[in-house]
This record gives sequence, C-alpha cells and structure tokens, in this order.
Amino acid sequence: MRIKYFATFRELTRENSYQLDDHLPDVASLLEVLSDRYGTAFRDAVFDQGAMSPVMILLVNGRNVRLTGGLATPLAAQDEVSVFPVVAGA
Amino acid sequence: MNGWIGTTLRVDLGSGTIKREPTNMTVAHEYIGARGMGVKIISDEVDPKADALGPDNKLVFAPGPFTGTFAPSGGRYNVITKSPLNGTIAASNSGGVFGPELKFAGYDALIVEGQSATPVYLWIKNDKVEIRDASAVWGMTVADTTEALRADTDHEAKVACIGPPGENLSLISAIMNEMHRAAGRTGVGAVMGSKKLKAIAVVGTGAVRVAEPAAFKAAVMDSCEKIAANPVGGAGLKAYGTNVLVNILNQTGGLPTRNFQEAVFEDADMIGGETLAANQLVRPKGCFSCIISCGRVTKVTNPLYAGIGEGPEYESAWGFGADAGINNLDAILKANFLCNDYGLDTISMGATIACAMELYELGYLTQEDTDGLELVWGNAHAMVELVRKTCVGEGFGKRLAEGSYRLADSVGHPELSMTVKKQEMPAYDPRAIQGIGLNYATSNRGGCHVRGYTIAHEVLGQGPPTDPGAVEGKAGLDVAFQDLTAALDSSGACVFVTFGIGAAELANMLSTLTGFPYSPEEFVKAGARVWNLERLWNLSNGFTTADDTLPKRLLTEPIPSGPAKGQVSRLAEMLPEYYSVRGWDEDGVPTPAKLAELSL
Amino acid sequence: MSKMLMIYPNKCTGCRNCELACSFEKEESFRPGASRIRTLTWEREGFSVPLMCQQCDDAACVTVCPTAAMHYGPEGSNLVELTADLCIGCKLCVIACPFGSVRYDSVTKSISKCDTCAGAPKCVEMCPNGALEFVDDAEQTRAREQAVADKFKTIFEDVR
Repeated sequence: MRIKYFATFRELTRENSYQLDDHLPDVASLLEVLSDRYGTAFRDAVFDQGAMSPVMILLVNGRNVRLTGGLATPLAAQDEVSVFPVVAGA
Repeated sequence: MNGWIGTTLRVDLGSGTIKREPTNMTVAHEYIGARGMGVKIISDEVDPKADALGPDNKLVFAPGPFTGTFAPSGGRYNVITKSPLNGTIAASNSGGVFGPELKFAGYDALIVEGQSATPVYLWIKNDKVEIRDASAVWGMTVADTTEALRADTDHEAKVACIGPPGENLSLISAIMNEMHRAAGRTGVGAVMGSKKLKAIAVVGTGAVRVAEPAAFKAAVMDSCEKIAANPVGGAGLKAYGTNVLVNILNQTGGLPTRNFQEAVFEDADMIGGETLAANQLVRPKGCFSCIISCGRVTKVTNPLYAGIGEGPEYESAWGFGADAGINNLDAILKANFLCNDYGLDTISMGATIACAMELYELGYLTQEDTDGLELVWGNAHAMVELVRKTCVGEGFGKRLAEGSYRLADSVGHPELSMTVKKQEMPAYDPRAIQGIGLNYATSNRGGCHVRGYTIAHEVLGQGPPTDPGAVEGKAGLDVAFQDLTAALDSSGACVFVTFGIGAAELANMLSTLTGFPYSPEEFVKAGARVWNLERLWNLSNGFTTADDTLPKRLLTEPIPSGPAKGQVSRLAEMLPEYYSVRGWDEDGVPTPAKLAELSL
Repeated sequence: MSKMLMIYPNKCTGCRNCELACSFEKEESFRPGASRIRTLTWEREGFSVPLMCQQCDDAACVTVCPTAAMHYGPEGSNLVELTADLCIGCKLCVIACPFGSVRYDSVTKSISKCDTCAGAPKCVEMCPNGALEFVDDAEQTRAREQAVADKFKTIFEDVR
C-alpha cells in the first residue's frame, strides 16, 4: 500500500510518500500506524477526538473516504492512499 | 451616501463628452453593484446584436459597495461588456487596488462609450476627468505603460491598461491592473482596444462612508474571524496559493491532461503548489483589504525563463502545464509572466496552445503553420515561444490570439476545441466531477469555473460529503453556488471569502455598511436576478439550450485511466433538473412567473 | 516598560488593511488620506512596507514646533503627542520629519500623525499577516530572535 502526502502533510511527515508492506484492514488502523510513525503533530492533524479530522481529505484510489465509511473504509493491499489538508480553492 | 458613492462617470470617446451622473439607486439596491450593476447597464444600453468591437458596445468598470472598505477581501471590481469572444454578456472580475481607487475618486461605475479615432487614455483625479493622447504608450507592455503614465499623471496613480494583444483585438486579451492583476476572461481587452482606449489612470482622495460604523465593524470582525478559522481561507491559501490544487485534482482523477484526452498527469507534482513554494515562491501577496493573501510573488532564476512577477494561479499552471503535457514549472511561470505583461487570459492562452498541440499531433496543423515549431506534448520551449508570439502578434501567434475555437474551426475540427460557448474550460474534468460540468455548460459567459465553484464541495471538503461522480443533487448545488456567487461578485467581495462566510455574513456587512437592509435571502435573490438578466440578454443574442452543452469528448469519450476511469459527463441527466430548479421552461427560458418574482 | 510599534516588512502583503483601520478609527469612514500609517508598494517586485511615526526620543518635529503643540508624551510613554488646540498649521513638523510620517491633511486641514490609538493601535488589530505588532520594548525583537533560533534548533537538536 502506498501513502502519498501533499501540502502541509509533507512538512508533518518530512516525506512525499511512504510504502507500507503490512496489510491493514481499514483507514482507522492505517492512521493509527502512521500516527505512531510520525508523532503527535501528525496524530492531531488526522484525528479529532477519536473521529476523522474535518480538516483533512483522505482519498483511497481517488475516492474521498467520507463517501465510503470514513474511518471504517476498508483497505486492500494494492490501494493508493492520498492525504491532503483542506487547503485551497481556485 | 454610504457604501455606494452616488455618482457614475460616463465618457464618450467618440464625441469626447464627459458626464458625471447620479447613480441609479434603485438599480444599486436591486443589483448591488459591480457585476450586477454592470450587467444592468449593458442590458439597458447595449443591443445584444451590436458588434462587440464596434462603437455601440460599452465597457463598464464597476466596483461594489464593499470596495474601498475593510470588508474582508472586499476590494474587487468588474469589467462588464458584450464579449467579442462569444457574444455573451461578460463580466470579468479583478482584484488589486484599481477598484477601490475608483471609489475614492468618487464613482460607483465608469461607463466608456463610443470609440476614439486615435489612441487615448483616461486620467481621472476625483472630479477632474481628461481624455489624453496615448500615442506615446500605444504598443507598450503593461508594466511600462503603468510607469510611463504615472510619470505623466501622478506617482500614486492606479492604472488599468491593455497591452499589444488588446490593441490588436485578440479575442483572448485581458485588461490588467497593478501590472499583475487581470480582468482576464472573455476578451474584454479587445473591447478596450477597439475603443482605442489604452489605459485608465485614477487617483482618488475621497471617502467611502459607513451607515452604522460600530455595527459594520463588528460584522467585519466576525467575518474576519470566520475566514481566518477556515483552513482554506485562513492558512491554506496563504501558504500554498491556489496552485496546490494540481495534486488534489490529479489524485481525484480529474486533472485534464493533454487537451482533456486524459484526466491524470504523470508529472503533476512537478508543477503543483508544493513545488512552487519550494522553488520559485518569494512571498504571498494580497489585494486591497485582503485577509487571505492567495497571491504569489514569484521569481525564476533559470536564465532561459528568468523573470519576477506574480502567479501562476492553479488554472494558469494547469493551462501551460498538464493541459499541454508540460512539467517544467519555470517555463510555466515564464508563460504566465508574459501573459501578465502583455495582457492575455492565461486560461484561454494555455488551453489554446493545448488544442494546437492536439491538432498538430493529428496532422491538422503542420510545422509550416507553426513557424517551424514542433508542437509535441511536453515541449515547454515551444509553448513559451508560442505565448511570446501571441503577445507580440507574430506569425502563428496571430491565429492563437483568436482562441482555440476559431483555431480548431479553421482546420475543420471545432470539436477538438475544449470550449463551451467558444470559451476555454478551465482545469477540472467534467467526466470526473459532474457538478462542475453542469456549471461549465450553463455559465452565462461560457466555459468558466468561478461562476459556480462546486469544486469546493465536490473535491475540496467544504460542505457536506459530496460525491463528485454523482449527478443527484448537482442541479440544486449549481444553482445555489451560481446565485450566491453572482450576489457576491456584485458586492465587490472576493469569492474566496466563501471559505469561511456565506450569505448571512455578507448580507449583514452590506446592510450595516449601506444602511439599506438586505436579508440573506434578498442578497441571494439579487444574485438570481443578475443571473437571470444575463440569461435573458444571451437569449436575445440567439443563444439557446443547444449551447448549454459540453464538447463531445466529455460527453462520449470515457476517461481512459486513473480513479475516474470509464466515466463521462452525464450532463443530460442534470440539465433538465437545472432548468426546473431555476424556474425556467424546458428550453432554458426564464418563465414569466420567475421574471415577476425577480422584478425583471 | 512601554510599548512600541514593530514592523515586519517581509510579512507585508500590501493589503492596506492598516490604512483602512486607521482611517475608520479616526473618521468612521474609509479615506486613505486620513490614515496615519501608509503602505508603500513596489509593483514589479511585489514588495510592500508599512510606515508610520517612529515616536522618536529626539524628535525633529518637537524641536521645530513653535507652539509646543508637538511635544513628548508622559515619562515612559515612548510617545510624541500632538495637542491639536495649540497647533497653528505652520507645517514645520511636516518639513522636519525625516520619515515623512507627519502629514498635513488638506481635507480636514490638520496635522496628521500616529498616536497609537491610546495604546490599542487599530492597524495592529486589523493586520492579517502579522506585519505589525505593538510590543513591550523588552520583547521588541523576540519574534525575530525566535525565528532565527528555531532554525538553529532544527539543525542542532539531535546533535550531541
């Protein structure tokens, strides 16, 4: 599974992307694993009191997880995950 | 008088008459100002069948009641006229400082009529207005014109002007102010050029007054807080500018690539806002009274494309970038700097080059047509050279200056021009994002995203979770965005304040500023009034429901790859409901009941 | 301890909200000529800087004023004040100020100079970019020092 970071998430993680070999069942467990990896600032940016942060956009294969069950969205081994802050309009 | 000034300036360049008239306050109340006021003036005074580049077209420069106050990011003005690109009633929106200066000089609107026989510029200092000879600056770039006219008028003068493309009546030319801000779309620069009006220089020392100062300030501070708390209006736009959208759209699978042949660009990250912030960004920039500062001051040191200026915005970076398969951000910036300094619409310019590249790929254009340039996808050098040629009106640039529709039509393939009503669509693929496609099809000035920016909900996480691939609910979403935006455009506020506030806050600020009461519903209704008046004018000019459509590619060719693979635009499923929500008949004509409701 | 107005030109975006806030505070309307703070902009390069009265300790305007309308504020206030009733509009202060921060407003026919809004400067309140701060003089350069120190921390914090 490949996780790509954009905008402020690049600063938070100091990476552009991360290849995860473990298979995780859903978005909630993925964000837990990533929060352990990157620390408190990342955790605070993705979780808001146990729920998904309202100022983050998370796409699984291009689809916004808010439309597919939020934290409960299932993940498959070949999925591509993109993480953005809510950050702009044009 | 509060908010508004109460005076309108009317200049006839043919006879040389200059008149200061009372602003029609009934119109001001019903249409607010800026876009709305300009649309009403053009609607009343210009025959829809008039030649857009002829003496009977008029050019209206109109700020709004917010313009010149500290209503957050409230300093904009509009240029309203009949478009020479597509014959629609076009309102083009710009920021910077020019609009506020018109208010301080004492005007709600400037109406330019007729045509001059020789190049002229307008010099406005409060109530002193002169038509002056501009032959010394005719042919000059935007920056040089600005500095030359300041030397002849006032060091602090704010200057709106055209460059050589506008002078040469390019259908995609813009009117620039403060060197880097553009009233970009729909060819308004050519109207100014057809009147031989090179520039307007303004100095104003008057005041914009407030009906209820304490209440207005409280309303403003409340709005500022909400915008600052919004992640987009607050920190996001300032940190990355609009160009951060490149990666977001790409990951969603809706970034039009190579003239909308595809919807993902393999090199998107090389031209996005993160890369811009790391490499070429000098600092953020804000327009008058802006609290958001989405502007980018940028610099390229690479000697091939060196320069300093502002931008690019997302749409501009897309047009010169993904749409042309180009991944060289320095080259994209150079193209943007050139367009600003010569006065060209960056969206239409980029999209026209992309169209030329597809025509070249298919053999409908050859190297003989293109002055020897190889218009292959990704050729950054050729792209910049084509922009330069269009700026100075040289060779193949003369054809590009007419926009992609006429270019593609001239070789017998208008279907390869990615336009709606002959205006180039910007950077969101309607096959991946259904709602924006409906907006492109129904926008009153042709392919345009800002008229109804449903992207905010469909992609950017504002509002309730909204599926970009769904058609349900999109008709209502588009109408809501279009009406609020029309009202907002008429107030002088920047559309980006919607990242934070809505009709309630805008109506409150407007009421306490002007002393004229607007409820949120009446505010939005004024927007609907503007929208319907624009529609009526277009219908009078022969537009029909057949023109509310999208290029065949987007309706029938599925996206070949990426997250939105296999999708097409399902416009036909949304359009009837759109007409119905609008209160129009099935041909898209406003019903008598609707017109009565809006006092039209 | 007293306060001073600090400027951070690198943060200025040229939005002129400071001018609007000042004008509104003084006249309840928006007239840039009424503002005691002015933003100067270089358009080609996109650079802006706000300027206002520096409340000099050895003020040229106080020295030249023939009526003492321009005088120093109370001990420890860090202010140069104008008592409008004593002003005869001779404009010597306008000529003397080396910063161009004292102006004659021809609309109100009076001398116009920053008075820090009685300790709650509205330009600072309104600036959306942190380009203006009203800080205790003990803290005056703290923000800059912090910014530099932060960079050293990033480099050195994991080095033994």
